[in-house]
Amino acid sequence: MEKFETAVDVLKNNLADAIVELKVPRPRKAYILLKSERHRDAVSLLLKHVEESMLSTISGVDLGTEIELNYHMVCGGTVTLKNRVPREKPVTKTITDILPGANLYEREVFDLLGVVFEGHPNLERLLLPDGWPKGNYPLRRDWTPPLIQENDSGSEEDSQNNSEEDDVGSLVSVVVGPQHPVLHEPERFNFTVDGETVVDVKPRLGYVHRGIEKAAERMMYFQDVFLVERICGICNAAHTTVFCQAVEDIGNIETPPRALYLRTIVHELNRVHSHLLLLGVGGHLLGFEALFQHVWRDREPVMDIIEQITGNRLMSGFNTIGGVRRDINPNTVEKALKTVKAVRKRAVFYKNVFEEDATLRLRTEGVGVLSKEVALKLCVVGPVLRGSGVASDVRKDDPYAAYAEIPFNVPCYDECDTWARLMVRVDEVVESLNILDYAFNNLPGGRLRVRVQRKIPEGEAVSRVEAPRGELIHYVKSDGTAYPYRVKVRAPTLANLLAFPDAIRGGYIADIPSVMGSLDPCFSCTDRMAFVDTANGQKWRWSLDDVNSHKNRRVLL
Amino acid sequence: MTKKRRRLPALIKDMGSCLFKKPFTQEYPFVSVQAPEGYRGRQTFDPEKCISCGLCERDCPAKAIELVEVSGKRMPYFYLDRCIFCYQCAEGCPRNAIQLSTNFEMSTTEKDELLVKAEEFISKQNISSDEGQ
Repeated sequence: MEKFETAVDVLKNNLADAIVELKVPRPRKAYILLKSERHRDAVSLLLKHVEESMLSTISGVDLGTEIELNYHMVCGGTVTLKNRVPREKPVTKTITDILPGANLYEREVFDLLGVVFEGHPNLERLLLPDGWPKGNYPLRRDWTPPLIQENDSGSEEDSQNNSEEDDVGSLVSVVVGPQHPVLHEPERFNFTVDGETVVDVKPRLGYVHRGIEKAAERMMYFQDVFLVERICGICNAAHTTVFCQAVEDIGNIETPPRALYLRTIVHELNRVHSHLLLLGVGGHLLGFEALFQHVWRDREPVMDIIEQITGNRLMSGFNTIGGVRRDINPNTVEKALKTVKAVRKRAVFYKNVFEEDATLRLRTEGVGVLSKEVALKLCVVGPVLRGSGVASDVRKDDPYAAYAEIPFNVPCYDECDTWARLMVRVDEVVESLNILDYAFNNLPGGRLRVRVQRKIPEGEAVSRVEAPRGELIHYVKSDGTAYPYRVKVRAPTLANLLAFPDAIRGGYIADIPSVMGSLDPCFSCTDRMAFVDTANGQKWRWSLDDVNSHKNRRVLL
Repeated sequence: MTKKRRRLPALIKDMGSCLFKKPFTQEYPFVSVQAPEGYRGRQTFDPEKCISCGLCERDCPAKAIELVEVSGKRMPYFYLDRCIFCYQCAEGCPRNAIQLSTNFEMSTTEKDELLVKAEEFISKQNISSDEGQ
């Protein structure tokens, strides 16, 4: 709270001449329209004066004659800095030199809206495929799918053989994926290795890009809830919660307290099963199959409870704008409380396993180190950030749903390695179960939902939640109709992906799965938009320049 | 962490105890499984209650419902291959003509079988009146 006020004051005092409009419609949410090209000053001011401030994402909105770039800065709350560029000549200055974490977000905007960021170290496509026709920017309002023609799909071939800097001396290039690297999702990683040591890595995104942001503009708000739910199966409750919050913010809809508690319950159940899944997979990646089997067995009762409460094991379909869709009956509460107790016992046991098992510690301690400074510079989120010694959690910093009333701790480890990131999750399972215990026992009565008009008044809102993988942010803009004008999603994995090369560099090939796994990547979240890059031989990937710029920055830090 | 004396891995005891338990997995489909109450399975439709308002068709996020003229009345066809089982149709129906069921067994080798026609419910409900028409 305090941090947020400092941030707004700093901007007011030092940048008065550049601020065109300043709005603080809700606590911890500020929207500041800046004069053209003053965003760099604002970002550096916030970084300088507000401790642990980071960039959540950049969302571009096509306003017709201008493209608005919203820099969502996290400083206690969210300060949205708006910079407008003309649509005819969309050029602006990069902020990657001030904040390297903006790298992927600027590329995303470049790819989907065609805004050129001057001074960006490697402004290439990020999501769209390698065959996307030039001059097609899917997130511009006047773009429709028929504008693209059939493309040759052969270009993917040559992008796999990026030979320039490979095979130089003792360096060998190893391609991992796109079939199931680490988790069962498609993504390709091109590792450059020297013997057993990883020298470099270039991820390629976009294999499961479904164009959800564009699709959301063509569906009504209440239908979009089901659409955003399908961005990611595991954190579906987080996506619906954050989207509903954003729309409720725009429409000034008061959600009843019982609905807020029920949302919290499903959200936390999601977190418990997601973390248990990852901890099991962690065991699997390290070759500890017994741990994998046991953790997954204990995850099953949690899934059963979710099924009972929401009506489905995974796709909960529970949240809606203005509340939740179904009530919870007392029998289920009783059963859930028993399950919570049983799972907590197991979680405490697994903490013991992770702490004491000698092999497990040897494989994870000191592996994939991501220092606090680098983590902050690259704007990583969630358990990765907390594993690097920054106790940042949206549930504490910017409470939503019922979290303001529920006591809980934020686990944080200073080891900065794979082990720390796994331990954060073990501890969070226990914390989540405590939250569930409290929420079930203190469930307020009253209505489940309020009636909401299909048309949502004009406005905009940023909403954040702590998804199992970290901070999840949605930006929704409404033009007063029943259809959103723009929905922007930034899933936690996109934020954490930038940290992967830093974490793995210098490690062994055998550590690749465990380090990647400890970031808990979820590529379907990351790829919700589309990418292409084609015949001209332009491929999106982290080029050597890009990586070098990172290396250099690392030295500077 | 200080070097501790080597001891047995903590999970050993747990693994041992599993030797004497029956498998955790269920023997589906040899043993039938009951979905819990409130599970969102295949919809059921009551043609008597339907007033052909078309809300289900308009609201369906997956565009899985189509209103078709059936025995003089426009009634929904459900394309289960597109259905996402969100139950927006059941929630929006002003006469509760669409109800949930916990039937989750829908696997088939024929895609056509996934089209649920309103006629099916008519014949099930009242065979004689159907014949009369």
